[in-house]
Amino acid sequence: MAKIGVFICHCGENVGAKVDCTKLAAAMGEHPGVAVSVEYKYFCSDPGQESVKKAIRENNLTGVVVAACSPRMHEATFRKACAEAGLNPYLCEIANIREQCSWVHTDKDMATEKAMDITRSMVEKVKRNNKLQPIEVPVTRRALVIGGGIAGIQAALDIANAGQEVVLVEREPSLGGHMAQLSETFPTLDCSQCIMTPRMVEAAQHPKIRLLTYSEIESVDGYIGNFTVRVRMKSRYIDIDKCTGCGDCITKCPAKKISSEFDCDLGKRTAVYTPFAQSVPNIPVIDKANCIYFKNGKCKICSKTCQCDAIDFAMTDTFVDLEVGAIVVATGFQVQNNSVYGEYGYGTYPDVINGLQFERMASASGPTAGKIQRPSDGAEPQTVVFIQCAGSRDPSKGVRYCSKICCMYTAKHAMLYAHKVHDGKSHIFYMDIRAAGKGYDEFSRRAIEEDEAAYVRGRVSKVWQENGKLMVRGVDTLLGRPVEIAADLVVLATAMIAQPDAKEFAKTIGIGYDEYGFYNEAHLKLRPVESSTAGVYLAGACQSPKDIPDSVAQASATASKVLALFSKETLEREPVVATNNEATCAGCWGCVLACPYNAIEQKDILDRSGRIIKRVASVNPGLCQGCGTCVTFCRSNSLDLAGFTEKQIFAEVMGL
Amino acid sequence: MSEPFEPKIIAFVCTYCTYAGADLAGTSRLKYAPNVRIIRLPCTGRISPMFILKALQKGADGVLVSGCHPGDCHFTHGNYHARRRWMVFRALLDFIGIPPERVKYSWISAAEGVKFAEFINSVTEDIRKLGPFEQYSQLIGDTQAPASL
Amino acid sequence: MSIEQQYQARAKELLSGGAVKMVIGYGKGTTGNRRRPIFISSPDDVGRLVLDDSCIINLSGYLVSEGLLSDEKRVAVFLRPEGIRAINILAAESQLDADQIVIFGFDVNDNELRALKGIHVEEFADVIGSIRENNPGFADKELLEKIEKMTAQERFAFWQEEFAKCIKCYACRQACPMCYCRRCIVDSNQPQWVNTSSHSLGNFEWNIVRAFHLSGRCVECGNCDRACPVNIPLRLINHKMAVEVLGAFDHVAGMSKTQEPVLASFKKDDSETFIL
Repeated sequence: MAKIGVFICHCGENVGAKVDCTKLAAAMGEHPGVAVSVEYKYFCSDPGQESVKKAIRENNLTGVVVAACSPRMHEATFRKACAEAGLNPYLCEIANIREQCSWVHTDKDMATEKAMDITRSMVEKVKRNNKLQPIEVPVTRRALVIGGGIAGIQAALDIANAGQEVVLVEREPSLGGHMAQLSETFPTLDCSQCIMTPRMVEAAQHPKIRLLTYSEIESVDGYIGNFTVRVRMKSRYIDIDKCTGCGDCITKCPAKKISSEFDCDLGKRTAVYTPFAQSVPNIPVIDKANCIYFKNGKCKICSKTCQCDAIDFAMTDTFVDLEVGAIVVATGFQVQNNSVYGEYGYGTYPDVINGLQFERMASASGPTAGKIQRPSDGAEPQTVVFIQCAGSRDPSKGVRYCSKICCMYTAKHAMLYAHKVHDGKSHIFYMDIRAAGKGYDEFSRRAIEEDEAAYVRGRVSKVWQENGKLMVRGVDTLLGRPVEIAADLVVLATAMIAQPDAKEFAKTIGIGYDEYGFYNEAHLKLRPVESSTAGVYLAGACQSPKDIPDSVAQASATASKVLALFSKETLEREPVVATNNEATCAGCWGCVLACPYNAIEQKDILDRSGRIIKRVASVNPGLCQGCGTCVTFCRSNSLDLAGFTEKQIFAEVMGL
Repeated sequence: MSEPFEPKIIAFVCTYCTYAGADLAGTSRLKYAPNVRIIRLPCTGRISPMFILKALQKGADGVLVSGCHPGDCHFTHGNYHARRRWMVFRALLDFIGIPPERVKYSWISAAEGVKFAEFINSVTEDIRKLGPFEQYSQLIGDTQAPASL
Repeated sequence: MSIEQQYQARAKELLSGGAVKMVIGYGKGTTGNRRRPIFISSPDDVGRLVLDDSCIINLSGYLVSEGLLSDEKRVAVFLRPEGIRAINILAAESQLDADQIVIFGFDVNDNELRALKGIHVEEFADVIGSIRENNPGFADKELLEKIEKMTAQERFAFWQEEFAKCIKCYACRQACPMCYCRRCIVDSNQPQWVNTSSHSLGNFEWNIVRAFHLSGRCVECGNCDRACPVNIPLRLINHKMAVEVLGAFDHVAGMSKTQEPVLASFKKDDSETFIL
């Protein structure tokens, strides 16, 4: 038999002035199953809470309804008080008679009548509440960071420096990502490699970081605190333990004319190579597709040169299985291929390049050793045209969004160019200058005022070759007239896009993505670094276009989320999760599809001989967030949601 | 003259948006009609069409269903699933003869206390004009054994 | 050779070769133009199979009988296009493995029996795909239009009268291939969402819930209509919902075995006009 305690709070005059609490208490006292029904000035006060506890103990109450302010205010307070009195906290509910009754109505009789309905409905609910225990999920205190660019490195270092283990996986042969390719960085013009490479070394040498380069994620299973991850370590054909990184093999390799990916095709590399001189680890890989031995079965010069016997042509891919508790996804971005813009001539005219290529050119360690040269003839360009929004904010051929960094890096390019070619002239076609950020607007003004970049507000319609020059035709919309510039070099501020395999990879790890392939945060404003899958966090440009400071900040934020998760051996979660009645489940899997969190799995029910009798849905309480969408879908009424069960809600309605 | 008809209205709302919006109406001390009774659910995704039928069984003259605006769902997709169900269920009720005016749907965010108050007022007024849902009352009246608790 | 004879021969071949363990088809009924389902496991019995324009029942529901397919052996079944769509839905909802089903497809147009080419459900994509453009519209169009023109009050009265006939025998549910739940919501009594005695409110609720659970899933085979002993126009409600679902979500049930159930999925730009 239910013994419910009803505690009606006047909240001073807040409830008392509009709801006849004495009448309410008397009416509730008459209601079947109510053992105690009392009113008090302030139940949230210490004496108020004490009186609730006393009533629970003295009457052996089986449930508590506090008719007071919104549960969003004091549900936690009263549930804690109940727990202290030995009553399971989930047997306590709040009837909201302040925010949703006394404060919004003027007629005392009607407000009192409404308060009665609200309280009675809640009493009927509480009669059907179940004792719930917080769900304890064990946590493996080891993090996986996917992507070894600046975001991934920052997240890995922050977690490792707090004393937790990290596995850092990078699919390229070296750490560094896009930041390692950059020349100088805005708004300070400090050299990118000078600030990046020490971080790369620190990550590689950190005792708490296990580094797996040239490796990719094969599969991810499990849930928050308990992920199982399989990593494929691609074959380098070089024994990472034997190689000393002397570089003799690279010097001797006869296949020297391979386009360098790191140099954005402006430079060449050998078949056995490290992407760049400061690669971490400084261990080369053999590019099987271009290696003469792999192609013709003859050569092996590298093998003969190597004094450490590190080269192994028979090497195969190997797999590493990891147990981790949290995953930071920092897989970065790509730049759009500008050949979609036939009118700009990218891919047709060698002297039309993209922003990343300009970075390599301007980099002291780049293919031109920092000299600005035309790719076609190596001449120093006297006039450079920069075209902003080459892809961004262009729904027809490019992407609808703003790539965020191009206004700044174009200003930087113009400055670098001015610093390297003193009498050179730069023209920048732009739509708007978006220079929001600390020191950013000042920086772009400097490009205009000190380095004399000529900004032209308007779009370019065509680029063509004429007399050894690139003719750029556009429009100056401020002056309202067409413009034609004879340029030596054209640089496109290419859109940042998601990695080409971003969507596929999202499915591997079970996170959401938007129409462009950027990963979805759990809440755009309030949970911007968490994915919708518990225990998986997002850092850097894989979520949306970002500059370095934003990527680093987000990476550190993910680290703090991971560290908070790792601060205890087990993770306690609200027990408001779905449960399934396996006996009645029809196994239609609609719930599996409907669940936003991939929290429902298929489970085989076996007989004694191991034969499958039926397949049912099984909710993983570690992943379930308690929305109840599956419950509503379930035609056989097999799924239910703790705390908001079918019985409870039915009773609430019937209590009205 | 007889007293004006006071309709009984039952609302099913999600806790993250509309319930919070209703709280905001309260903290802002907005005034609205006292005819509505709110049942709090974690998400619109949890609001089953059965709830609407049970509300009608309890003599509701009108039913409200409300949650986060599309794109704002705390659980990311709950309201998108809910929207599909509502589209289908509403068409079904309409075909069966339960007037769509008696079952209203809305998106009300946690910031829209004013919208909440206005919504309650306008729906209460509309249903007051429609009068009691007599056809359904008859249905209930014909029933000898109402659902027990 | 008539189609009936061809299919009898094929059934014999499949059964004697062990390619299928059972053929579910039609046999003679109690009166001349009635056909009843028969289940044949022996090649000697194929002569009992009848195929003519009186073969109307959608037999797909028998495939989900408990344990029938759990030995992973194949079963052959006679199906009209709507029955073939039902196979797709049952496969999409994981109730059966479509590879286990051998289809004897047929259709009747203008009283003429026609064999449908193919064995596996994928091979009938063209036949069932044409339904989208050319829905045969089994439902009583005239009645539908009449109801749509009514006021809400008249519609309520119309259905109240129809549902008043309901005796809660659940024959509609038993006959429906989509009602495969082991426990129907109406049999769930904690809580009792739908009143089980055949009084007006319970009848109303049951028929609403039945129609809702079939929305976006019904293939309009008419099994429910034929099973109903009191002649409630059940198929009409289902047809109306199919039209609604097509209009709102461009969804025709049972187009492929991997089709996502319409109410377990969504599009961010699903458009409606009624949410305030």
